[in-house]
Amino acid sequence: MTIWRQDELLLNAYLDGELDAIEAVQFETRLATEPALAAGIEARRSLKAALRTGLDEDVPSPALRRRILAQLSLHRPRGTQSWQSLAASFLLGTIFAGALSLAVMQNEAGDQIADAVVSNHIRALMAPQPTDIPSSDHHTVKPWFNGKVAFAPVVPELGPEGFSLVGARLDVVALKPVATIVYSYGKHLISLTQMPSESAVAQPVTRKVERGYLMLWWSEGGIEYWAVSDAAHEELERFVGLFQAAASHP
Amino acid sequence: MEEQSDQARFAEVFLPHLVDAFRLARWLAGARTDAEDIVQEAAMRAFKAIRGFTGGNARAWVLTIVRNTSYSWLAKNRPQALVLTGDLDEQAQRQMQESAESGEVHTPETALIAKAEAESVKNAVAGLPTPFREVLVLREIHDLDYRAIAEVVQIPIGTVMSRLARARRMVFAALQESTA
Repeated sequence: MTIWRQDELLLNAYLDGELDAIEAVQFETRLATEPALAAGIEARRSLKAALRTGLDEDVPSPALRRRILAQLSLHRPRGTQSWQSLAASFLLGTIFAGALSLAVMQNEAGDQIADAVVSNHIRALMAPQPTDIPSSDHHTVKPWFNGKVAFAPVVPELGPEGFSLVGARLDVVALKPVATIVYSYGKHLISLTQMPSESAVAQPVTRKVERGYLMLWWSEGGIEYWAVSDAAHEELERFVGLFQAAASHP
Repeated sequence: MEEQSDQARFAEVFLPHLVDAFRLARWLAGARTDAEDIVQEAAMRAFKAIRGFTGGNARAWVLTIVRNTSYSWLAKNRPQALVLTGDLDEQAQRQMQESAESGEVHTPETALIAKAEAESVKNAVAGLPTPFREVLVLREIHDLDYRAIAEVVQIPIGTVMSRLARARRMVFAALQESTA
């Protein structure tokens, strides 16, 4: 079917509600007598209907909103880190993720750490790169923490065992900077967060599942270690075993 | 307490349009996971720019950011999927000329689209070059009027009209080809 280009624009504008009342009435008069125009309208209406089929299901996963809010509450403009900004982040968190924040508040200290460690791990996975300092050399990674954290983190090389050093990043847990070493195992990333422990008493490796991520934590020599990954459980356990062995014989 | 108002403002301006933002990103990027990454990046940009939003059409403002983020994200992560800016300009120019000409256009039989499955219509739209796909999606999915589309895509209203007309015609042509 052939219509004039000008009529095509008119037809579209009519369909899209862009004609004023007088233009619309004039066009409707023509529609009644020109089947080509009426057909054009009908075809375009069907196009719209087809395109909108199943539109209600075309929505983002519920995780997207959480990711955005988490990212936002972690966002601190440089130089303006303040009590107010922390309070504001917290406020936003409680407004839009109320249940989540309350649940966190009611948790025990260990759960707060677990939550922070998992959040840091997830945020690292979402970021363009999971480390602040990408390096496979522990001689580069270890000194990078000088002056950033108040202890010397353990950074063993476990490459021969299949766990390659990817680098490290500075994370924040309970408002304190902590050291996180990142290893890769195949396509999986392992974040190993280290921080001074509340107690000097060593704790054996303990399992914890936080938001679907397996975590293994233990403490030794006044340092608490938290390993988190989406790698298979037995692989994370093997990693922790190797890490502990390497850490005790540096 | 400026930061609190920034975050409150972001929550007020951006979050209500999360679904719209996702749908635009999905139509521009294709994959759902890519679209979510784009929206997340767009959210961060919107948050940083929230003081620049001085009222008006929040939806158009959000969609503008999502659109721009989509293209920079695609350029960075999926360069092969993106129509080059040069092509876009050329197409836009051709469109401008075309709309200025008078003449006849072929538009397919009415029955065609009624017969076509919704899925094949969506595939035809997904196959459109981005300059045409974006105006059609903003119109049919987001129900924006021509003025708002012009604002989001940053083109004159005349170009919105000619691209929209051409986009619909291209969908019909693609369906005709696939059923022929």
